[in-house]
Amino acid sequence: MMDMEKNNVLQIKELKAGYEIKSGFVGAVDDVSFSLKKGEFLGIAGESGCGKSTLAYAIMNLLRDNGCIQSGTVQLNDVNIASLSEVEMKKIRWVDLSMVFQSAMNALNPVLKIGEQLTDAIFAHQDLSRTKAQARAKEVLELVDISSERYDAYPHQLSGGMKQRVMIAMALILQPDLVIMDEPTTALDVVVQRTIIEKIQELQRQFDFSVIFITHDLSLLVEISDKLAIMYAGKIIEFGNAHDVFTDPLHPYTEGLMASFPALTGPIKRMGGIEGKPPDLLNPPEGCRFAPRCQKAMDICRREYPKEYVKNDGHKVSCQLYREKMGENHE
Amino acid sequence: MMVIKSLANYTEKKWVRIMNNPEKQTKEDVILQLKHVNKHFPIHTFRSYGAVVHAMDDVSFQLNRGEILAIVGESGSGKTTTANVISRLYIQTAGEVLFEKEPLPEKMTKKEEIAYRKKAQMIFQDPFSSLNPTHTIASILSRPFVIHKLAKGKRAIREGIKDLLIQVGLEPPDQFIDKFPHELSGGQRQRVNIARTFSVNPELVLADEPTSMLDVSIRMSIMNIMLDLKEQKGMTYVYITHDLAGARYMAQNIAVMYAGMIMEIGSATQVINETYHPYTKLLKSAAPAPEMGLKRKKLITKGDIPSLVNPPSGCRFHPRCPYAQDICSKEIPQMKKVDEGHYARCVL
Repeated sequence: MMDMEKNNVLQIKELKAGYEIKSGFVGAVDDVSFSLKKGEFLGIAGESGCGKSTLAYAIMNLLRDNGCIQSGTVQLNDVNIASLSEVEMKKIRWVDLSMVFQSAMNALNPVLKIGEQLTDAIFAHQDLSRTKAQARAKEVLELVDISSERYDAYPHQLSGGMKQRVMIAMALILQPDLVIMDEPTTALDVVVQRTIIEKIQELQRQFDFSVIFITHDLSLLVEISDKLAIMYAGKIIEFGNAHDVFTDPLHPYTEGLMASFPALTGPIKRMGGIEGKPPDLLNPPEGCRFAPRCQKAMDICRREYPKEYVKNDGHKVSCQLYREKMGENHE
Repeated sequence: MMVIKSLANYTEKKWVRIMNNPEKQTKEDVILQLKHVNKHFPIHTFRSYGAVVHAMDDVSFQLNRGEILAIVGESGSGKTTTANVISRLYIQTAGEVLFEKEPLPEKMTKKEEIAYRKKAQMIFQDPFSSLNPTHTIASILSRPFVIHKLAKGKRAIREGIKDLLIQVGLEPPDQFIDKFPHELSGGQRQRVNIARTFSVNPELVLADEPTSMLDVSIRMSIMNIMLDLKEQKGMTYVYITHDLAGARYMAQNIAVMYAGMIMEIGSATQVINETYHPYTKLLKSAAPAPEMGLKRKKLITKGDIPSLVNPPSGCRFHPRCPYAQDICSKEIPQMKKVDEGHYARCVL
């Protein structure tokens, strides 16, 4: 086992994962490393197809069919998840780490009452009596502001926001150390989205679990996360405290993302967004993957992938612009 | 109807031109007017025979030529129905829609309908399903040329299509013209949609959440293309969105809809900076606004969007409203003037 820093719940090192297809290997997650402390809220932002969902599935060891973890380690507490068999993984999954899926609206079984679906998760892992399991299920429902009387409701009787809250309750029912949320609020309206996010933050403060929150909505992440990772074409290109990344974005791609959502207050400025589209991950461009869309690209960018440079406050960036200004990251 | 008061904030000259087109605004040339328009959909099931969905109730507004009105609301608030009624995909159940001061008749002949469609065009939300997957871009974009007889001969049509593709930034056009929709990305498909809309040089464009299905990084470029085309051709937009900040970026005027009714309408500055209606306040506090700092007030709300089959009595927002009084549940508040050009449907 690798040595793990104290307080780290999750430590990912040089993780490569992707999908085997006829014409080659799609490296959806390429050489990703980061760690997460207990009780920390990490936001991962990126466009569709940048590998953020694959990363979530790799951490859960849920890649199936043609998907696989190619190399690297995913260490949760003391265990390297990437090397576990499915039987061993089943013991850990949901007990130590759980997930709220992207299409939570459809993730509930329509012919089972929500109470049964909640207790299912308990019975799969614990030897509890039916009454105790029921009591626990009702308790988590109350936690997410759904009256325990709705225990016997079917999913179609609940609104979209309530279904999403049931999914969150289900993820918390065994009190895991880490909850991965893959675009949990994307399909919801702004007001509902806001109430759910407030709920997640409140529960996180109460139970002190770590969260990995994946979304394409950077403006939302900046508000709610402690740490922020920006992903582009399978790589994490910038990582740091949410506040630092927002006030001082280093990578040109992050700058572009910041200029992609208009502000609600202040003067109206014409904004640019980012021209072009993300590269094909089957044949990613040589050198920096953002170079073809980057306004500041230099010759070197098209030749070699930049090393990771780190600012004093732990704010890391992979960009040639900082070759001379900052030290390399030797972690 | 509404004139922007202060332009001090708009730094770039281009913006000033877009936002304040003096010759057009002084004329008060009303292009579109809705008068107490209702749209109810009957439900024909065994259990609820005779029930109706109140998708749009008492919607009134007017729009001057060359202006942009943004309709903001959550899903199910009736904003898409409004666009569909204006574009005559639906016929309203009550009320009047006036286009260029002429009321639209309930029944139109095929000829009249084509003539109207040439003036009022729509951009649909989903770029993935609004282009026929079995047709090439050339074939899709040639339809308006044929239907509205804009050009004669294959060569002239093809040249016209190439011009359109250049206008929406799909360059070089030869690279795109013979492709199928599945070969294009979402942003490129939405550009084809915009090209199709603008091919007939419409007077009025109804854009139904044109950016909501797209990635964040390409949303701005679509919005900018729409603003540039509007400036070049001087047309009028109804821009439908659920994003208040996006509405402010695009439009001079904002109407906020909730459960089929307009709750507040006014200039963008009035609606966002001098918010009057509690629902608009709620929307505002729910919108992500990282520039406001990391500390924000907790949201005060309860309940969900009401059923439109049995809408709440009185004000439709009262079950969720933190300031609700007795009177709110009894009668539907009328539109009341708050300020010059700023109206709200609230008893407060």
